[in-house]
Amino acid sequence: MSPLQATPVAIRARDVQMRFGRTRVLQGVDLDVPEGATTVLLGSNGEGKTTLLNLCLGSLARTGGALEVLGHDPQTRGAALRAQVGYVPSTPDAYSWMRIGDWFRFLRAHYPTWDDARAQELVERLDVPTNTKFKQMSRGQGMKAMLAAALAPSPRVLLLDEPFGGLDPLVREEVLRNVIAALGGEPRTVLMCTHDLDVAARVADRIAVLVEGRVVREGPVTDFADDGAATPERLRDVLAAATAKEVA
Amino acid sequence: MTIRVDPTRATPPSRQLVEAVLDRIACGTWSAGDRLPSVRGLAAEALVNPNTVGKAYRELEVLGVVAGRNGAGVFVTPEGPDTARTERRQATLAALHAAVEAALAAGHDAARLHRAVAQRLGGAEGTEGAKRRRAS
Repeated sequence: MSPLQATPVAIRARDVQMRFGRTRVLQGVDLDVPEGATTVLLGSNGEGKTTLLNLCLGSLARTGGALEVLGHDPQTRGAALRAQVGYVPSTPDAYSWMRIGDWFRFLRAHYPTWDDARAQELVERLDVPTNTKFKQMSRGQGMKAMLAAALAPSPRVLLLDEPFGGLDPLVREEVLRNVIAALGGEPRTVLMCTHDLDVAARVADRIAVLVEGRVVREGPVTDFADDGAATPERLRDVLAAATAKEVA
Repeated sequence: MTIRVDPTRATPPSRQLVEAVLDRIACGTWSAGDRLPSVRGLAAEALVNPNTVGKAYRELEVLGVVAGRNGAGVFVTPEGPDTARTERRQATLAALHAAVEAALAAGHDAARLHRAVAQRLGGAEGTEGAKRRRAS
């Protein structure tokens, strides 16, 4: 894609601030997430990655700056956006006594574009157990259930918060394969937080590095290596360099 | 044989896919007229972003090895197998030359290298596979 070609922006953050009491978590985030691409948000723990996703969802109210998701402010137009923005939290957040069918019935009421057939197909494809309560699911099963729930309304934007943490290698590969399946098909924008640099190197079209509540570096993944091979090792170096510079 | 991408390699993922597809066409796994896996299918197999597969397929199209038929998929062109073989031969031969240079620079004498190469070639005379293994 030529840089001159204007790609529509799915998420636009300008000087976004977030304070919890005296703790300033986001200190002026500027970020453009282009439509149809997968942007991976890298950063150490506590840099504000999850907070940024929650602001995009409208589940938190920012303390400053401007934020638009698909042209709407998530803070005031959360309900309009909910149908178009899928979210997979880092830990399954369904009620623990629910089975996947209960969870779907609960969600369906909130999503005008909810598609039962699609939900059923996702449950089968992702091999989510239908007769197990969330509290009895393994972490991998829980993540796949969350992914199925997020994809059932065919969202235009998918927010993924550390979906691969705490998964054993085989399950991680299975979840990754399903995330990758979700990237294709319709033009879908993905913003994913992860510590997993192998995943970042595999799926990122773009990388944004969040340090100390600011995006200190952002661009196409190919810009993160001279020859276009942004290996996990090089991404680790980029992250380390960005962190050192900000702390110094 | 599954196509895998190793993101730790210094070769970009899309280039790794181009090479893997060229190898399959060069050695006849896929012949002229065969359809390549769908972009989504290969992305899920190799565990990379579908955009990366799309980029690899576009590169292969530029090389003239494959062609997209609108909506029906991406197919190996009639001249695909020849082009793939030429392409991979040049690349692997260049790697062989580089390996010889490196070995000479490291102090191996020419006679010893001759013997080493002859030994390898003696074991698998004239097969593409042996040359490729030797070169990489």
